[in-house]
Amino acid sequence: MAAPTSFNTTKPTVETKEKVDYFNLPCPIPYEEMHREALMSLKPEVFEGMRFDFTKGINQKFALSHSVFMGPTEIPSQSSETIKIPTAHYEFGANYLDPKLMLLGRVLTDGRVNARVKCDLSDNLILKANAQLTSEPHMSHCMVNFDYKGKDYRSQFQLGNGALFGANYIQSVTPNLSLGGEVFWAGQHRKSGVGYAARYSTDKMVATGQVASTGIVALSYVQKVSEKVSLASDFMYNYMSRDVTASFGYDYILRQCRLRGKIDSNGCVTSFLEERLNMGLNFILSAEIDHRKKDYKFGFGLTVGE
Amino acid sequence: MASNRGKGKGTKGSKGVLEEEESVLKRVNAWTNWTLKKAKGIAHYGFIPLVIIIGMNSEPKPHLYQLLTPV
Repeated sequence: MAAPTSFNTTKPTVETKEKVDYFNLPCPIPYEEMHREALMSLKPEVFEGMRFDFTKGINQKFALSHSVFMGPTEIPSQSSETIKIPTAHYEFGANYLDPKLMLLGRVLTDGRVNARVKCDLSDNLILKANAQLTSEPHMSHCMVNFDYKGKDYRSQFQLGNGALFGANYIQSVTPNLSLGGEVFWAGQHRKSGVGYAARYSTDKMVATGQVASTGIVALSYVQKVSEKVSLASDFMYNYMSRDVTASFGYDYILRQCRLRGKIDSNGCVTSFLEERLNMGLNFILSAEIDHRKKDYKFGFGLTVGE
Repeated sequence: MASNRGKGKGTKGSKGVLEEEESVLKRVNAWTNWTLKKAKGIAHYGFIPLVIIIGMNSEPKPHLYQLLTPV
C-alpha cells in the first residue's frame, strides 16, 4: 500500500555569497542626503495654521503654483517664551523641469524671492544654486554647488555669500558602506570645520553617523519593518554646548495616506498625516505638542494638483 | 652723490608700485561689489519672469490664457 506521496522535497537552498567586486561598487548617496531616510521619517514639515497649495500644470515641463498660508509664525526670542505673530501670505511659484535643467522660483507677498536652479553641465557635473533674495540689504543668501559624480564616489564644492567655502567627498567602500568627509570655511564669521560621515545601508535598514569639529555628533538608524511601515530613531549630541536630543518615530505609508509621528527627548510629540482624498487632492493635518515649553501647534491644509 | 640719488629714486619707486597695487586692488574690489549688487537686483526681479518665459517657449507651446486661468 504505497500511498502516493507526492510532496516537494526541496532541499534548503544554500545562498551562494556573491563575491564582492571592489572595482564595481555602486555610486554612493550624495553627502548632504546621507540622512535622508531618517529625515523623511522624523522631520515632516509641521506647520501651524491653514495652508492651501494649488499646483497647475501648464505643460509637461512647466507648472505654476499658488499657495496661501494663514497662521501664527514664531519669531526667535531671547527668553524662554515663544512669541508668535499672526501672519498671512500668498506665494506664487513657477517651476520648469527638464531632464537637464530645473528652475524653481517662488515669490512671496512681502517681496522675498526664493530661487533654485539645477543644471546638468555634463554627464557627471551638476551645477546647483539656491538663493533667498530680499529687498533689505545684507539679508540675502546665495549658495552655489558644483557636484561631480564619479564611478563610485561623489565630490562637491560649495560657494556661498559671505565668503563661505565648502567641499565634501564620499566614497563607496563596500556595496553597503560608504564613508565621506567635509571641510568648510566661513570667512565672515572666521570659522572653519571638518566633518566625517559614514553610512551603512542594506535592503532593510540604514544606519548613518556623522561627526563634525563644530561639536556635533549625529547618529541615525532606520529600519524598514515592512513595505508599509518603517521605524526611525535619531540621536544628536553637541559636545560644545552639552546639548543632547534623541527622537524615535514611525512612518506608515498606506494606500490612501501617509502617517508620520515622532517623540522627542525634549518632550515634543509630533504627528503628520497626508490623506489622499482623490486624484490630485490631498488633505494634510499636522500637530506638534511641546510639553516642556507648553507650545501647542495644530495645522490643517489642502493640496491640489500634483 | 650718485648713490644717494639712486637710493632716493629706488624708495620712491617701490612706494609708488605698492600704492599702485593697492589702488588696483581697491578698484577691483569696488567693481566686483558693484557687479554683485547689480546681479542680485537683476535676479530678484528677473528670475521668475525668466522661468515663465522659458516655460512658455517649451514644447508643446502653451497659450497665454493658460497662464491666467485657474483650471
